[in-house]
Amino acid sequence: MIPPRALRRWALLLVALVGSLSLGLWGLATERVEPVSVLMPAPFADATAELVSAFNRSHPRIALRVTRGPLETEAVSDLAISSLLLGESSYDLLLMDVSWTPKYAAAGWLEPLDAWLGPDALADLAPGADLGNAFGGQLWRFPLLADMGLLYWRTDLMEAPPRTPAELVAISRRLQREGRVPWGYVWQGKQYEGLSCVVLELLRGFGGHWLVDNEPQLDSPAAIAATGWLQDLVRQGITPAAVGNMGEPETLQLFQAGDAAFMRNWPYAMAELNKPGSPLRGKVAFTTMVSEEGEPHAATQGSWGFSLLAGSTHKAAAVEVLRFLTSADAQKQLNLRWGYTPTRLSVFEDPELLAANPALGDLQQALAAAVLRPLSPVYAQLSDLLYREVNTSITGDQPASTAMRQLQLNSERLLRSSGGEG
Amino acid sequence: MARMLLLLWSLGPMLWQLYSSLRPNEALSGMGTGGWTLEHYRQLLQSDPPFLTTLLNSVVVGASSTALTLALAVPCAYALSRLGRRQARALSALVAAAAAFPAVLLFLALLELARDWHLANQLLALSLPYAGLCLPLAILLLTAAFADIPIELEEAALIEGMGLWQRLRWILLPLMAPAIASSGLLVFLFSWNEYPIALTWLSRSDLLTLAPAMARIAGSSVYTIPYGAFAAATVLGSAPLILLMLLFQRQIISGLTQGAIKG
Amino acid sequence: MRRWRLWLLMAPALALLLAIFAAPLMHYLWLSTQAQSVLTGLKPVPIGAQQWLRLWNDGRFWQDTWQTLRFSAASVSLEMLLGLAVALLLHQPLCGRSLLRTISLLPWALPTTVMALGWRWIFNDPYGPINQLLAVLGLGAMPFLSNPNVTWLAAVGADTWKTTPFVALLLLAGLQTIPSDLYEAAALEGATAWQSLRRITLPLLTPYLLIAVLFRLAQALGVFDLIQVLTGGGPAGSTESLALYAYLNAMRFLDFGYSATLLLGSFAILLLLCGTAALVWRWSSRLQGELR
Repeated sequence: MIPPRALRRWALLLVALVGSLSLGLWGLATERVEPVSVLMPAPFADATAELVSAFNRSHPRIALRVTRGPLETEAVSDLAISSLLLGESSYDLLLMDVSWTPKYAAAGWLEPLDAWLGPDALADLAPGADLGNAFGGQLWRFPLLADMGLLYWRTDLMEAPPRTPAELVAISRRLQREGRVPWGYVWQGKQYEGLSCVVLELLRGFGGHWLVDNEPQLDSPAAIAATGWLQDLVRQGITPAAVGNMGEPETLQLFQAGDAAFMRNWPYAMAELNKPGSPLRGKVAFTTMVSEEGEPHAATQGSWGFSLLAGSTHKAAAVEVLRFLTSADAQKQLNLRWGYTPTRLSVFEDPELLAANPALGDLQQALAAAVLRPLSPVYAQLSDLLYREVNTSITGDQPASTAMRQLQLNSERLLRSSGGEG
Repeated sequence: MARMLLLLWSLGPMLWQLYSSLRPNEALSGMGTGGWTLEHYRQLLQSDPPFLTTLLNSVVVGASSTALTLALAVPCAYALSRLGRRQARALSALVAAAAAFPAVLLFLALLELARDWHLANQLLALSLPYAGLCLPLAILLLTAAFADIPIELEEAALIEGMGLWQRLRWILLPLMAPAIASSGLLVFLFSWNEYPIALTWLSRSDLLTLAPAMARIAGSSVYTIPYGAFAAATVLGSAPLILLMLLFQRQIISGLTQGAIKG
Repeated sequence: MRRWRLWLLMAPALALLLAIFAAPLMHYLWLSTQAQSVLTGLKPVPIGAQQWLRLWNDGRFWQDTWQTLRFSAASVSLEMLLGLAVALLLHQPLCGRSLLRTISLLPWALPTTVMALGWRWIFNDPYGPINQLLAVLGLGAMPFLSNPNVTWLAAVGADTWKTTPFVALLLLAGLQTIPSDLYEAAALEGATAWQSLRRITLPLLTPYLLIAVLFRLAQALGVFDLIQVLTGGGPAGSTESLALYAYLNAMRFLDFGYSATLLLGSFAILLLLCGTAALVWRWSSRLQGELR
């Protein structure tokens, strides 16, 4: 008979063998599927849901999961930062707004994409859409969707849109005097990022720049002229004083009700204005923002793109996801189903899309005129200073020169005290 | 009359939340006539991560913080109550000042602590700052309770040859039980309700305690009128605390009151 | 018991207290002389007094200081008044008194963020109950959370609702230490309720009133939870508090150096206000003692 102690020993060995074998098999099995986690703001998560399930079906070895982030742009960034700051990265890919990319890159949280996507990764991108993705000699983000600031005008009230600020004022005054519209021009004047976008377009249109070589240029004559022009719009009654509290929804509402001749807004507004039942259906067109003679007609670029997080443990799989979601087919579907503006040249020139959405060609032209918000890691703070100051000057009595000089000082101080050279 | 007003004022907002949480969103925005629904609760309990996980996280943090705080506060309070009057007064004043200090001002240093020492996203590690933040109140409460015990009792025990631990175990702690219970409950309550430190130390959604989880729910809705879901979250988030209050009302109230009188 | 043994017993607790309260403030003092932001790779770089110069010239800092002070003053005053009223009410011997006391304490027990979510609904324009009530009464809707002039009042209201019970309980404890024969004697002499309130209750309650004010003032100056969830600092930054601004600087702008400076600045303001209040009390009570 086998002694009981030996029996016990053999039993233990058997259990250990079986245990480790099953663990190994289980490990092998789970290793088969690589999880990739993406954080997107809620609207984009909804829009890409079909694409995500298509990807999961066609890529059985990758399990793609989209985290539906908050609705507000800044809140999404806050969510991502809260885990990145703690040194943890629960996500592999982030859908990033163009204005955050420098900050994340400077903080060392992003993985350069050059090695993964190759040297001509940006080759298929439409001019304007390629801005804001590569800087400091490296590619940090691949754009998925684009946006640009547009000047909307009423085709039933005028023959051609104005091309200079003076023309805009003249046409507005005439229409207001004739009683055709109560207001001339509405734009976003609330104390938020939208105002910075408005100011940037105008700044370039007057020949100025926000940052040159990391130095603010906000007390230049062009900047003072641009702010002064905005102030005058309100003072002369071409723009309602309530503009100080208006964001995109409010300006759209006012314009759609027929109460203004011009509106500055993003491409999505066109779809809203042309909806069946809209009073302005077929009566609106868009163009780029006005500018002084010899200065470019600018459109502030907004875009969302995917960045790979440096702390990701599934980089190869994540890059595959990135390729899939930003492919021409994916962008085409996003435009057809959800109306988002693509970034790939091939998608802009797709005949099927052009047939369904003729304005796509105009959008491509506007995108080519895109200007980028400063690619500074402290952009959020610079923008904060700018929109507060400009909002105060359009709602108050301070002359533009004083406001801009103050803004310049504050910006310089900001850069100096946060470690930039100032 | 005045009592009715007080009742209405105290309970009104919460009862309104309860009412709203049971109505469909259309009824809340006046577009439908509604009826009643449990849909909001279902959504909440089945969300990712499940609401019960959040409650469990809060329980873990609460329990560990309470244990740590009491373990540190009891000996300290004992010593403080036996210290000379002048020294004790100065120390007590400092401790009282710390009790009033708004904890949020410490978040940056604590964030760096979490980063440097890898204490982030660990529920038990959170008990360290929480214990530190609750110590002042616990010390004040327990010192007062210790001081209430007549010194003769201890002297008698000393004469009988009892060492410190024996005195604590057989004489002091049983007498201190109500005060310890009150302090423990107040610490537990604080840990449940604490927000800024939990917000910066916890980022994984399955580890969040109640307060930051609620804030995330607040920021996350795409709907125009999401308030049915919000109301349900408010009700579920408040329920455990209401239960706690009702069960332990006497201890909690006496703890606060004692702290006030002696502090 | 021997002196050193007592200190030994206190040592762990005191060590943790120093680590949690004193060490951070020292750290902030050092950090406020550094630039530590995303531009420095999140590493500290010494820059002397630049952060303090920036703070001094920062319009948003002064605006937030004003907003925080305004919020605290309104909130604390309201809480003291209501708290006293509730304490007096609960002091009366009534049936169901202890249940009422517990119920009135419920608002204080709830987490601020949970109830802030509830307040967003209650103040909603136009579907929240308050605006519905106003509509029924034929009054216009009140944009509680979207009008910069009104939103801070909504925040004060929400804060008062939560913290009044705490003040009430504190004052109730104080009321219970006042011997009832004082009131009986006053009643015999024909004093009205109002007079006995002024002559007996308030003076004897003063130490408790003061503790409540100091405690609540310190807490209100650090208001964060309520503002972040209820309004996010809006609209147009009109409810932003100092704590929220400091938090945004660290967690959104990744500017740790400036955030530390702001926190230290807030602490200085807190110290100034509470210290002044405490000193005024000491001076006035000493004066009263001398007069007697």
